[in-house]
Amino acid sequence: MLAFLRFERRRIFGERKNLIFLGFISLLSAYFVWSGLNEHRQFQAEKKIFIKFEKEKINQIVTYVQYGSFGFRLLYETSSLNLFFVNSSVLQDVESNIDSLEAIKVESSFKGKKLFLKRGYFKDFAGIPFIFGSLFMLYLGHMALVSPAYLRFISGRMTLKKYYALTTAARLFWLDLFFVSLGSGLFFLVQLGGVDFSRSETMIFFWYLLFLVLLLDFLYLMGQLTSVLVYFRKIFFLWFFIVWFVCIFLLPEINRISVFNQSLVLESAEKVNLEKFRTLMALEKKFRDYLKVNPAAPLDQIRQMQKKFAVQFLNSTYLVNTGLETKYLRDVEKVIAGHERQSVLFPTTFYHFLTGEVSGKGYYGYLDFMDYIMKLRNRFMQFYLKKRYESNDAAVESFVKNEENLFRARSRLPKTFWLGLLATVLYGAAFLALAYWRLRCLVFQP
Amino acid sequence: MIALKNLTLEKDDFYLSDLCLEVSQGEIYFLLNRLDQGNDFLFRTLSGFQSAESGEISYDGMRLIGVERPQTAVFIDRVHDRADFDTEARLGHWLDFLCAQGLSREDIYKTLLVGNFHERHLKKMVRDLAPETFKLAYLAVCLAADGANIVINDFIKGAEKSFELKFNKLLLQKKAAGRSILFLGNDIFYASEIADRVGFIKNGRLMFEAAAVDLKDMDIKDLYLKFLN
Repeated sequence: MLAFLRFERRRIFGERKNLIFLGFISLLSAYFVWSGLNEHRQFQAEKKIFIKFEKEKINQIVTYVQYGSFGFRLLYETSSLNLFFVNSSVLQDVESNIDSLEAIKVESSFKGKKLFLKRGYFKDFAGIPFIFGSLFMLYLGHMALVSPAYLRFISGRMTLKKYYALTTAARLFWLDLFFVSLGSGLFFLVQLGGVDFSRSETMIFFWYLLFLVLLLDFLYLMGQLTSVLVYFRKIFFLWFFIVWFVCIFLLPEINRISVFNQSLVLESAEKVNLEKFRTLMALEKKFRDYLKVNPAAPLDQIRQMQKKFAVQFLNSTYLVNTGLETKYLRDVEKVIAGHERQSVLFPTTFYHFLTGEVSGKGYYGYLDFMDYIMKLRNRFMQFYLKKRYESNDAAVESFVKNEENLFRARSRLPKTFWLGLLATVLYGAAFLALAYWRLRCLVFQP
Repeated sequence: MIALKNLTLEKDDFYLSDLCLEVSQGEIYFLLNRLDQGNDFLFRTLSGFQSAESGEISYDGMRLIGVERPQTAVFIDRVHDRADFDTEARLGHWLDFLCAQGLSREDIYKTLLVGNFHERHLKKMVRDLAPETFKLAYLAVCLAADGANIVINDFIKGAEKSFELKFNKLLLQKKAAGRSILFLGNDIFYASEIADRVGFIKNGRLMFEAAAVDLKDMDIKDLYLKFLN
């Protein structure tokens, strides 16, 4: 095995074009991590301004009615790991406004600096090994077995099975070592740059790295298999490109289109908002009807009635609307769960799902965010109505305590992580066995 | 000793029926066949990569059954293209790897020295070597295994005369050491020069066999036109 390790190290790292490509991958990855780090720092600076602004804003508000209308903003803050996945996330920089209005808003701002924060498909650490690493691994998988003539020659010196197994193992060892060193090296460099990762974030990053390496191994084995299936012919490069394109772009895109089609069964968000608005307006109409019946009611009585209606609102209308919103969210969750299950079916589609979740801005991050908004909004509504009808226009007190207006999304591994990992390993094992079987037929023709 | 008994092969347009021959120790037998493809197919069968339709192949009395690599024979195939052996490693590293698999470095270098091999070639990639230099390295690795029997498939085809002479020297050394050598090819002039016995295959049969000494008295051109044209 040591001889194989030494020889394959020399084969991979002794070839100039391989070194250039590996250097290119390293440089590009480092550049995008640096760029992600800058974005992370920028976000931290903006966050401070955001908190300061929200504190200032409450001082400017005079009445609770104003507070209810303006509300306060809620900022979505991802975990620090997001700097490795700035373009692989599902959500962009989002925030929400929590107020007394019925519709829940989740928005992204394009104002000022954010206008120039245009992101592309693979321009982050997660994207570089995915696009260029996959290409490189397919190529090295193709080069591994050299040619049928070479294999016939070498099988005079050892068994084909031994050569095939040990060559594959040795090449994958060096290539995996490279990608693990690159990932962990950049991870520790970022820490030197002043970013702290919690223990769980560190674990998640290394689990992600394990999946990345297995995905690249899978692509290497696919390159090896493709090359055997096309009998090592020169036209391999055409097949090589087709296989790469299908795995890296087409299947993830089909998966994305599929989830979009599945989401069509969801009711329109506007329809839900309209439903909630109707429920609210029905209560408002009741109040107007009361005023019409009692036009001469004194102000105190009207205020008492308002309070009564507010309590009624909280106990009925608001609960109905929250129920509508929760049901809608659970429907979205079902679509996400279906998408997650579907993503597990192929390693590259699962990689997209995984990077979204590890970034903290994935689908489950969104669900957590929505749950947080609804909980916060629930408390805010109670706070607002209580203060509005009981505070007698005293100075407006801020609802937000201890940076509650920051939603800290956590990086996570999807529930199907182990299943995705297992699927990737099984694909790899199947390709390894299939390539050997075809190779045997090619070298030994009975 | 190499022995073929009633060997029958068939693939696409090529067929060979009931081939019987024996190559004794210290003998070079040159089997002439017009078709390169036929030689390739026969070579693959002899080296255990393909199975014969029927018949027997044995090396030193050990019968070759189906597809298996004979342990007592060395096989030297013709090198179509250097690119087929481009492992993207330097030649020296490739030789290190093969030596780690049990080949004797001394034996490899012994062959290389016969061919005036220079140390600087070890630092080159296979694709950057001159065709003859690579052929020499390939030959050195093949001969380092040193079996009692040697089967060669048209190895010197297209090689320069200087290489051919070096190769002949090595071959005669092996002959002198008592190896049985079966050479497959289609060059009647080379056969008459190097072999002890020559066999002609035509229409899938061994049509004619002669000692190389006798060939010198025959009209080689006539033999060529009769069996190899």
